[in-house]
Amino acid sequence: MATTSSTPAPKINRIGLSVMEYKGGKTTLCAGCGHNAISERIIDAMYEMGVQPERVAKLSGIGCSSKSPAYFMSRSHSFNSVHGRMPSLATGAMLANRNLLTLGVSGDGDSASIGIGQFVHLMRRNLPMVYIIEDNGVYGLTKGQFSATADVGSKLKTGVVNDLPPIDTCSLAIELGATFVGRSFSGDKRQLHSMLKAAIAHRGTVMLDVISPCVTFNDHEGSTKSYKYMKDHEEPLQDINFVPYFEEIDVEYDAGTTVEVTMHDGSRLRLRKIEESYDATNRIGAIQRLLEAHDKQEVLTGVLYVNSTAPTFIDLLNITEEPLATLPESVTRPSREVLEQCMEELR
Amino acid sequence: MKQTFTIGIGGAAGQGVATPGDIFAKIFSRRGLHLNAYNAYQSIIRGGHTFLTIRTGPERVSNMGDRVDLLIPLNQDAMNRHLGLLTDGAACIYNADTITPGVPAKGALLCPLPVSKLADISRNKVAQNTLAVGAGLSMMGIGFQSLEEVLTEQFKKKGDAVVSENVGIARAGYDYATAHFEPFPWPLPMTNNRYAVLSGNIAMAMGGAAAGVKFYCAYPMSPSTGVLHWMAAHARKAGIMVRQVEDEIGVVNMAIGAAHAGVRSMCATSGGGFALMTEGLGLSAMMETPVVVIDCQRAGPSTGVPTKTEQGDLWQILGAAFGDYPRVIAAPLDIGDCFKIIPEIFNIADRFQCPGIVLCDLLLSEGRLSVDPKDLDFAPVVDRGELITSVPSTSGSSGDGVYKRYKITESGISPRAVPGVPGYAHTAASDEHDEDGVLISDEFTNPTKRRNMMEKRMRKVTGIEAAVPPPVLSGSRDADITLIGWGSTKGVIEEACEILTEQGIPANHLQIRWLVPLHGDAILNILKDTRHTIIVENNYSGQFARYLRSETSYVPNGYIRKYDGEPFMPHHIVEAVKEQLGGKSRLSVPAHEILV
Repeated sequence: MATTSSTPAPKINRIGLSVMEYKGGKTTLCAGCGHNAISERIIDAMYEMGVQPERVAKLSGIGCSSKSPAYFMSRSHSFNSVHGRMPSLATGAMLANRNLLTLGVSGDGDSASIGIGQFVHLMRRNLPMVYIIEDNGVYGLTKGQFSATADVGSKLKTGVVNDLPPIDTCSLAIELGATFVGRSFSGDKRQLHSMLKAAIAHRGTVMLDVISPCVTFNDHEGSTKSYKYMKDHEEPLQDINFVPYFEEIDVEYDAGTTVEVTMHDGSRLRLRKIEESYDATNRIGAIQRLLEAHDKQEVLTGVLYVNSTAPTFIDLLNITEEPLATLPESVTRPSREVLEQCMEELR
Repeated sequence: MKQTFTIGIGGAAGQGVATPGDIFAKIFSRRGLHLNAYNAYQSIIRGGHTFLTIRTGPERVSNMGDRVDLLIPLNQDAMNRHLGLLTDGAACIYNADTITPGVPAKGALLCPLPVSKLADISRNKVAQNTLAVGAGLSMMGIGFQSLEEVLTEQFKKKGDAVVSENVGIARAGYDYATAHFEPFPWPLPMTNNRYAVLSGNIAMAMGGAAAGVKFYCAYPMSPSTGVLHWMAAHARKAGIMVRQVEDEIGVVNMAIGAAHAGVRSMCATSGGGFALMTEGLGLSAMMETPVVVIDCQRAGPSTGVPTKTEQGDLWQILGAAFGDYPRVIAAPLDIGDCFKIIPEIFNIADRFQCPGIVLCDLLLSEGRLSVDPKDLDFAPVVDRGELITSVPSTSGSSGDGVYKRYKITESGISPRAVPGVPGYAHTAASDEHDEDGVLISDEFTNPTKRRNMMEKRMRKVTGIEAAVPPPVLSGSRDADITLIGWGSTKGVIEEACEILTEQGIPANHLQIRWLVPLHGDAILNILKDTRHTIIVENNYSGQFARYLRSETSYVPNGYIRKYDGEPFMPHHIVEAVKEQLGGKSRLSVPAHEILV
């Protein structure tokens, strides 16, 4: 890390880049939108983790959330799909180039409604990627209709009351095979920051549902996705401390109150328990606790589930180290002899 | 008339119609005979009725033909349905223990096999099939040796006992026929050629492999599933990543994702799956990411008749995805062409960074044709177009920051960098965008920029037109009748022309392979010298006729259409032409005589 110097040289990270190199374009979202705070946390996390921006592929769908990749990491490749179809696009891109660090940004409409079919199949694959749902329970760009993550009984500005239960993207993700599942709140700077750094270190599908209030259409009394509601109802499960592999571990921890998870790259994720009985490595317990939280109208945040040893889709498919996309044609195109053999089977 | 010989095998699904069919096909192709096979079947695992037609001969056989020379009904239903197809000189071999023949036409021969006397039917449930194959080959004048070879190959995995049992049964049928049935008047000849027997699906899959496809994904859908089967079975050998995906929306987007990352990627489906893919097709067009999608048409609309053929998706393909965008659409003309068209369309899709669509149909996808492997290029030219996969060594530095993914150029083609190349990062989006990829759909909306981008993309159409050859007329220019078709009907129209010409009605033929670009001017130039034109197609409304009219204002003299799920037979066309020349009608819809 950079040391203090008398000249005001910008701070740089372990690969020699300043935080400015991780910035994006100016946001066009509303002032106070939770999504902007999430973009800021992504910038900080990528900077602190020393990720080479050119390695990152930002993917998104359609909606306010899906615009946000334009507002961070301009030096990275960006890929806006059509509405709800980012999961399969990301899968194709990753299979063709496994070296990409894939960061998907979606919304509750993009993932839980039009894209739910794609979403569930992505979770099954445990594709190595970070998938963030910027969740505000409402469609912003089409001016404030309920999405499928809106809680029963929550009220629109117009007075319309939601009559259907929400889809919990976190319990779905845990059930289907995602290996790092968390929920956070765009206003919880510290928690989200640590969670994102751990997400970057994780190998496998990271699914983060980040409650991100819509200041224009869903921040009023009666909304369950407002800043006020989140301040009153957020129940953090743990205090998250992430120690990347390239940093010295200087503090011991108490095994009685803290769970330590070693990540694929050697980083350590330390979860100091706030809720004593919660075990983030227990899949069934996690789903049960999420169901209870719905009944009690709590918004559980923190690392809900983590499994740092499960094989990823890339491991299962046994793909060559060199990305398919950059292998020369001489290696990947079947030779004349191979095709002649295939033809011989048909004689 | 060319000399051909046709075998029809009918029975219920699960009765083993396919195996004798495969045996005949192998024997014919190894004798250096051409063959064309078509299986009329139903969407059922067991039961129902299927009818396989195998037509063979020393010259190229391009369609199922008009006549059945040898009928092998495996059950009473097949006998009842098809005996009436036999004419003078034809024969019917059947199990006399279980099947009662009807009254055949004059000159058609009934050849009953006493199956339970010739084989132990308690041990071998398909003994009647094997006996019939043996008997048939004897009557065709083919030596037993070739059957023994094929049976040995077929059953060697099951051990010597099974091999010798089956060879024994076949021998019994062969000898019985030699002793009791009159052989066909001309024995099947032999040539020195050795053909492979391909389905259109296998041909397209292999064409993809030859073109360097590295990513193939699909959702199973008849009649396109054969492509997936070949790909899955040969994924390791051919070095192709093959995935089955949850639905066709996922399929097309995954293919685009892989293509965007830099590999050649392909997917195949049928009309229903293609409907789901149209959204993604627009994405491919907008992001200028080349991808090749195959539509194996079946009879629609909706679930329609999944096991029957049709050319009914043309307008779906023409209208696929909203907005205007450059694309290329090709319809293979026969099963060999299914192979050839894939590398060709990939080169165009890659050069012009646009979607390429192959409009095949069940007739080709699931039909079988003898192909001489020498006619196929296993190392076709691969042109990836202006593709940047690494920092060019000449540029010296990496991050000059001036790369414009959608740079406005005269040709409309902008050099395409794959993700991960330092200095070439950009945004690719489904939204309209500026030269550098910045979205111009929200606060940067700008009519001038939008117009420039539309014009940039659409300028590629000129290049595509130049890259695709115009169609040519086959046959003599001087003809009374010009038949016009597209895609899979080439073979049957060709034969109809030969028959018409022989019968004193000189006919020539214009077959369309590239649907977009169509080359309307070249077509008009050909058609201006014709006397009487008829458009032949396998659909209800004359989709190609309407398309040709919309592009060129050309109206033909008549139409021949068929939409009963079965392909044309040559006589359907011949008779319709005569009917129309007689002034009786301008639209003929031939009835299909084979009831399946």
